[in-house]
Amino acid sequence: MTQTSLFTADARTTKRNRAEKRFKAYGLTAISIGVFMLVYLLYTILSSGLGAFFQTRVTMDIPLVQEEIIKAEKGLLKTKAYKKIIANALYAELAEAGIETTMKEKELLGIISGRAPAELRSFVQENPDQIGTTVEFKLLAGSFIDGYMKGRVVRENAERSKNYSIAQLDLVDQMQKAGILKKGFNLAFITGNDASESSPEAAGFGPAILGSLAMMIVVAGCAVTLGVAASIFLEEFAPQNRFTDIIEVNISNLAAVPSIVFGILGLSVFINYLGPISGDDWIKNNSAFVGGMVLTLMTLPTVIIATRASLKAVPPSIRDAALGLGASKLQTVFHHVLPLAAPGILTGSIIGLAQALGESAPLLLIGLVLAQGASAPDSIAEFFAGPNTAMPAQIYQWSTRADPAFYERAWGGIIILLVFLLTMNILAVILRRRFERRW
Amino acid sequence: MTSKHDIDTQYNDNQTRDLDMNNIKISAKKVQVYYGDAHAIKDVDVEIQDKTVTAFIGPSGCGKSTFLRSLNRMNDTIDICRVEGEILLDNENIYDKRVDPVQLRAKVGMVFQKPNPFPKSIYDNIAYGPRIHGLAKNKAELDDIVEKSLRRGAIWNEVKDRLHAPGTGLSGGQQQRLCIARAIATEPEVLLMDEPCSALDPIATAQVEELIDELRSNYSVVIVTHSMQQAARVSQKTAFFHLGNLVEYGDTGQIFTNPQDSRTESYITGRIG
Ligand SMILES: Nc1ncnc2c1ncn2[C@@H]1O[C@H](COP(=O)(O)OP(=O)(O)OP(=O)(O)O)[C@@H](O)[C@H]1O
Ligand SMILES: [Mg+2]
Repeated sequence: MTQTSLFTADARTTKRNRAEKRFKAYGLTAISIGVFMLVYLLYTILSSGLGAFFQTRVTMDIPLVQEEIIKAEKGLLKTKAYKKIIANALYAELAEAGIETTMKEKELLGIISGRAPAELRSFVQENPDQIGTTVEFKLLAGSFIDGYMKGRVVRENAERSKNYSIAQLDLVDQMQKAGILKKGFNLAFITGNDASESSPEAAGFGPAILGSLAMMIVVAGCAVTLGVAASIFLEEFAPQNRFTDIIEVNISNLAAVPSIVFGILGLSVFINYLGPISGDDWIKNNSAFVGGMVLTLMTLPTVIIATRASLKAVPPSIRDAALGLGASKLQTVFHHVLPLAAPGILTGSIIGLAQALGESAPLLLIGLVLAQGASAPDSIAEFFAGPNTAMPAQIYQWSTRADPAFYERAWGGIIILLVFLLTMNILAVILRRRFERRW
Repeated sequence: MTSKHDIDTQYNDNQTRDLDMNNIKISAKKVQVYYGDAHAIKDVDVEIQDKTVTAFIGPSGCGKSTFLRSLNRMNDTIDICRVEGEILLDNENIYDKRVDPVQLRAKVGMVFQKPNPFPKSIYDNIAYGPRIHGLAKNKAELDDIVEKSLRRGAIWNEVKDRLHAPGTGLSGGQQQRLCIARAIATEPEVLLMDEPCSALDPIATAQVEELIDELRSNYSVVIVTHSMQQAARVSQKTAFFHLGNLVEYGDTGQIFTNPQDSRTESYITGRIG
């Protein structure tokens, strides 16, 4: 009776197998939920944000008549005269396309972005040689017309809205059929300056990207060099005693400090204390340099912890081998330990950088969220010291504005931010692969 | 091509060896080693001769490695380790404040118990020491040193076609011979070997033993081993350690045939350890 066959599983085995199956099922469920959430998140981001990369524009020929321009420049309200030029050109364009309209000038201009007259004027000032000719312009449509083209604005609400009318939407439909009004790719969203609250259609993410870039340069320069140097010293040279233990505990604690605390620290140390003392242009409110320094403080513990971990992971036998051959400690570290630790250090640093890139809370405190629109810097000094913003700060800024068109742009900003983060992570993977291939 | 010259120098080496046998290379006086509060080496006095293989034997944990590592100050890398007493290399105390351990280790090379090649090419493994010590003036000289060292490490034939393959891709025994070749590439005067054959098969062991015997013509070799047979085969002098004490030190033949101390006798005959 004690003899059992291997072909039939006994009770214990069945039980164990069942437990294993259950565990696998739990794991699969967890992963499925995670994947579903990720997909849903990506779907939400893309469906809400992709619209920001497309913009409705009105194509029209505008004759730049010399007398009209001279008259406009003489007037008190210059853009008003340019408005008139645009309106006349649009009437002509519509007539040419065979669209009949009795719309008043004011209502007609409601289709075009409020920024258009200023845009036209700056074109004329930059290209005086074009005066006297007829130039084709692709002027931005107003944000509600753009919203109508994207399905955000619907006819049913037109009666209750002060911002657009049924007549306008009818005309837009006709213009679209005639090919005068088109939705196209909007490079200006990526490269252009931010715009005021009233013209979301012209708002761009450019200054935010540049500001983040400036901060990343500062963080990469300061956090990575300081962090790696500090870790090498702590790990390879410093004696193991109570003092270094205290430092170690504190570094671990710093990594868990909320980022807003670093913002306050930066505000009080850099802006309120060091700024007035040094009188330096770079150390002041809303400069990307200070932003970078604050993010450096925040990133340092991450970099130090990652670097120390990867230095610790290098087998001690390698150090013994080098020291036994008569290499100095410095040679041992730089010839043997550091190359082996490099993949880990790189990954840690890039993760630290990515963290800093996505951080907005500390930037709020040092004025890097500009209520007025940020514009692109025109010099290196301006790049680091001028009124600046960062990608997450700009996203936050847009999300607080009233016009739903800004909401779309906030999502668009998130897409750009994610693209940057993804690029950095891919870079980390590639670099790690590359270094690891050298065993 | 073995010229007459080679044979002559070999002959001369054999002539001078007997003279050098009595030259003291390393002399340890009242050496104490502590790990924190633990007293790992107690009052050891020993004189290691030039051009001789000296074997350290003794039960596990008796301090053989500890003492060996104190001969080239590798113990400096352990924070809690403290060495007292004097160790003279060519009559200079290596624990003197003026001594730079880096310079010392170039003179006193070491092979570790576990093979530890650098994760670099075979060539770079050997070339590293000569490079940092500036032993080669140009690439040709370096190539020469690499080949010579690999030949003396009895591994040249196995690796000559793949000098640029990773050293970590060799078998355990090959790795250990690579490490020995690496250690002798820097031309040390003393070579310390901590159980160099513990990871090797009998054939590789025989090769390494042959190599040790050959190294004796130029270096003073100190080898830690758990194999009595190996100690008897390769060494001229043997030191028996027990619980941190140097119990007995003398000619290998005498230690194995006529030990003076009862502990030595018990260990050799397999009763303790
Ligand atoms: N890094 C260290 N820290 C603290 N104690 C140590 C350290 N290394 C060795 N010891 C202690 O010193 C004593 C001697 O150790 P050692 O490694 O020299 O022994 P051994 O004779 O080489 O032994 P084995 O034959 O097993 O290699 C042991 O009691 C050991 O526990
Ligand atoms: Mg040992």
